[in-house]
Amino acid sequence: MVLLTMIVRVADSLPLAASMQEDEQSGRDLQRYQSQAKQLCRKLNEQSPARCTLEAGAMSFHYVIEKGVCYLALCEAGFPKKLAFAYLEDLEGEFSEQYGTKVPSVSRPYSFIEFDTYIQKTKKSYIDSRARRNLGSINSELHDVQRIMVANIEEVLQRGEALSALDSKASNLSSLSKKYRSDAKYLNTRSTYAKVAAGAVIFITLIVYVRFWWL
Amino acid sequence: MGLHQTPAAVTGPPLAAHSDAAAVYPAHPAQMHRYPSLQPVYQSVSGAQTAPPAQTQTQLYTQPSAGAAQLSPSLASLSLQSQPPEALRAVNLLQERSLLPPGAVPPPVPCLPQDLQKINCSPEVFRCTLTSIPQTQSLLNKAKLPLGLLLHPFKDLSQLPVVTSSNIVRCRSCRTYINPFVTFLDARRWKCNLCHRVNDVPEEFMYNPVSGLYGAPHKRPEVQNATIEFIAPSEYMLRPPQPAAYLFVLDVSHNAVETGYLDVVCQTLLESLDSLPGDTRTKIGFITFDSNIHFYNLQEGLSQPQMLIVSDIDDVFLPTPDSLLVNLSECRELVQDLLASLPQMFGQTMETQSALGPALQAAFKLLSPTGGRMTVFQTQLPTIGIGALKPREEPSHRANAKDVQHLSPATDFYKKLALDCSGHHVAVDLFLLSAQYSDLSSLGCISRYSAGSVYFYPSYHKQHSPPQTERLQKDLKRYLTRKIGFEAVMRVRCTKGLSIHTFHGNFFVRSTDLLSLPNVNPDAGFAVQMSIEENLLDLQTVSFQAALLYTSSKGERRIRVHTLCLPVVNSLSDIFAGADVQAITALLASMAVDRCVTASLSDARDALINAAIDSLASFRSSVLSIQQPGLLAPACLRLFPLYILALLKHKAFRTSGSSRLDERVFAMCQLKQQPLVYLMMMVHPGLYRVDELTDEGALNISDRTIPQPRALQLSVEKLSKDAAFLMDCGTVMYLWVGRNCSPVFLTEVLGVESHAAVPLNMNQLPELDTARSSRLRAFVDWLRERRPCHAVLHVIRDESPLKAEFMQNMIEDLSESALSYYEFLLHLQQQISK
Repeated sequence: MVLLTMIVRVADSLPLAASMQEDEQSGRDLQRYQSQAKQLCRKLNEQSPARCTLEAGAMSFHYVIEKGVCYLALCEAGFPKKLAFAYLEDLEGEFSEQYGTKVPSVSRPYSFIEFDTYIQKTKKSYIDSRARRNLGSINSELHDVQRIMVANIEEVLQRGEALSALDSKASNLSSLSKKYRSDAKYLNTRSTYAKVAAGAVIFITLIVYVRFWWL
Repeated sequence: MGLHQTPAAVTGPPLAAHSDAAAVYPAHPAQMHRYPSLQPVYQSVSGAQTAPPAQTQTQLYTQPSAGAAQLSPSLASLSLQSQPPEALRAVNLLQERSLLPPGAVPPPVPCLPQDLQKINCSPEVFRCTLTSIPQTQSLLNKAKLPLGLLLHPFKDLSQLPVVTSSNIVRCRSCRTYINPFVTFLDARRWKCNLCHRVNDVPEEFMYNPVSGLYGAPHKRPEVQNATIEFIAPSEYMLRPPQPAAYLFVLDVSHNAVETGYLDVVCQTLLESLDSLPGDTRTKIGFITFDSNIHFYNLQEGLSQPQMLIVSDIDDVFLPTPDSLLVNLSECRELVQDLLASLPQMFGQTMETQSALGPALQAAFKLLSPTGGRMTVFQTQLPTIGIGALKPREEPSHRANAKDVQHLSPATDFYKKLALDCSGHHVAVDLFLLSAQYSDLSSLGCISRYSAGSVYFYPSYHKQHSPPQTERLQKDLKRYLTRKIGFEAVMRVRCTKGLSIHTFHGNFFVRSTDLLSLPNVNPDAGFAVQMSIEENLLDLQTVSFQAALLYTSSKGERRIRVHTLCLPVVNSLSDIFAGADVQAITALLASMAVDRCVTASLSDARDALINAAIDSLASFRSSVLSIQQPGLLAPACLRLFPLYILALLKHKAFRTSGSSRLDERVFAMCQLKQQPLVYLMMMVHPGLYRVDELTDEGALNISDRTIPQPRALQLSVEKLSKDAAFLMDCGTVMYLWVGRNCSPVFLTEVLGVESHAAVPLNMNQLPELDTARSSRLRAFVDWLRERRPCHAVLHVIRDESPLKAEFMQNMIEDLSESALSYYEFLLHLQQQISK
């Protein structure tokens, strides 16, 4: 079952087209995966592997990067990997033929949202179990499925987070030390005031004493 | 407006024209174009274009205005740039009868510096009841005028700047969009006009795409236009933009088939299929219901539509979830097939029950994955399944009771379902076509909380009431083809110190100031009430910003931003000078509707009357220095008592027994959901003499000449037997033909020989090739173009059954249970001097 499909420009992670299957059962859950997908797209760059599967609990993300465009699908973990990639290749072929030349020039998000219609139709044909058997035999030549990298989504998303954690810790430390410094200053002034006040009190008592004693 | 008034002003009475205009024009030639808006007052005071008897009136009435004219030069020299002192001239309402301006009532111009006012938001979109905002709440309390905004945020605009930018500049603390009223401290920093925070100008903003210059951020379109639209970047999307989705839910019970409405709906929809807003993703679906629910499988590849009947209405399910809401461009032929056969399909039905509740649940299930628009046609009280209702209106109650009951919903089913719909971006529009009581106060909730709209065609029948058919057809055409925004939210912000506390309109308030609007349409209006929480002491101006985020039918996420800037004043006289009488009336009407539901009708009526008494009393005691006898009102509020009386006699608030409960509830819905301009048409109809239309002062719009007759008071004394009059009440127009009307008019315009030959059910003006006929038709067409709903024209004479309706709109006259205008004024005067 393909739950979510996104087509994104890799250079600036601008979404180009998407299709969403909102089911009553998975309605709320999907929001989380969707934001994961968005984060994932932001992490991708030219150096990322062109084909990859990322496991995320009961689901897995599959993506294909071709000509600067990333095709991403969220499937149930049990959905055959072979089929998922065949589906993505199919989208890739149609999308690059229809809109390939326009991809670098667009600036509005979801400029090619009308591709949704094609995505939905293709999805249906891949989900349908009768059609699936046929497709399975056709796409048996998709030999390199075995070699596709598998990684965990959490790892990918947290890559780089260690650095930012270090950064935040450092800034935390510096702000703490600043606070310490100001607190110390404050304490200092307070004790000075206390000393001066004590001196003044003694002095006044002395004057009063002198005045009433001597006169 | 200005066009036709300018010549009229020149021909006006010499005394009035000279005293102000002549003195002002040479000194400020640059402002010439603004002054015509002042003229109506002089004209109406002296009755400029009326017959000789007006001569004596002129003598009488120029007396007070001469006093004002003496005052004005000194004041004028002080505040010429700003509000004219004319707005504050005390008018004795008991003496001056002709208060109506000849054309539409112009909105007051806020007294701002010229350069700010020039770019301020159009009053058609954004209007405040007080164009000068009081500095403190206590000052506002003293003025006894309501403070609020009236919005028409999605109005069809002829010109709208659209900006595409990856980074929309907003205030970092209050999220206000950058607007023309912010201040640039230097080229790198700007100060928010709502929360006063200083923000940085981002690098991209330094470059101006329009002129191609760098380093002039104040020349950017965002800072030059008070109304602007942004193409939103992907941060403004929670999910991919939804496709346009339209679901039609049609009542096919015996009662519904009997009215014959299916023909009109299917035919109109067939004709409009190509012009439905959308792109290649547009989805469409149909559900019909009587005591069962019928679905239509329209999947691509079928040879004809397949009907699926679900009779288990206690637990509704979708028989085939994927093929009920289908892509319009792929399945167009099946949809056309279905629309062509639908009207005949239920011709023999004997099913009288109506399972509206379950049908709505099914429709919600079908639309909830995508969101979209649900259009429901209902012709009777829902009788079975969840959401069934019982008749609550008792005819005996109708006749005598002072207080109307059953204005609040009988069940919360419709409200709850509407809230579910709202959560899934589904809006429900209700078309109610019923002859019997259908409990609109309960049914209406489904549209009210899902930001839909309600249409009501009482006693609709294809054969018996052709005008209703014409109206449904025209309204439906507009409804289907007008712009639409999906999954929208609107937020109204205002300068720190002001706070918004109540909203009026159709929506659901999601958080304190965020309105959730599953659909937004160009004919929806909103109102908000405000209070002043912190004193606005060191401020010159305050601003209001309404931002509407929506998905267009082409799948673009857009933000439309309107910003209004108004001056802050600290004296009562300035507050009164800036009062906007139409906006005040509209806001009071919305408040009164709420009062009807929470308290009672008589409470609401009392509140309306008290609003007029309090504000006029306040004007008398704190603004007027010299106490004069009579009922005095500032010139800008001179129509206030008239409008209040009009509201009291409006269908929503009248106490005379004739109006049906549903009609009353519908009138209330209208008062809350209509934008100001359309609302005023319904509250205070226009009356024009049309048998002698001339081209003098006519408007010229794209080669058409539209005569502009003077608006008359709504009083029988203005009618004369030897003339013809047109009354424009918003959704209906009456052309009343006097008994001794000139035969030339009868033959050349109506195409009949004599007065007695005017048919009793004439709804169309014949297209005759005469100058008179084309003038009148041009005028009627022009009036019709300016509103979203279709107005049916009834040609009537004294014998017509519709005469009573026509006479009921004569609001200045005495009626069976309501005061005449003069009596009402006396009543006000009595209360004020008490």
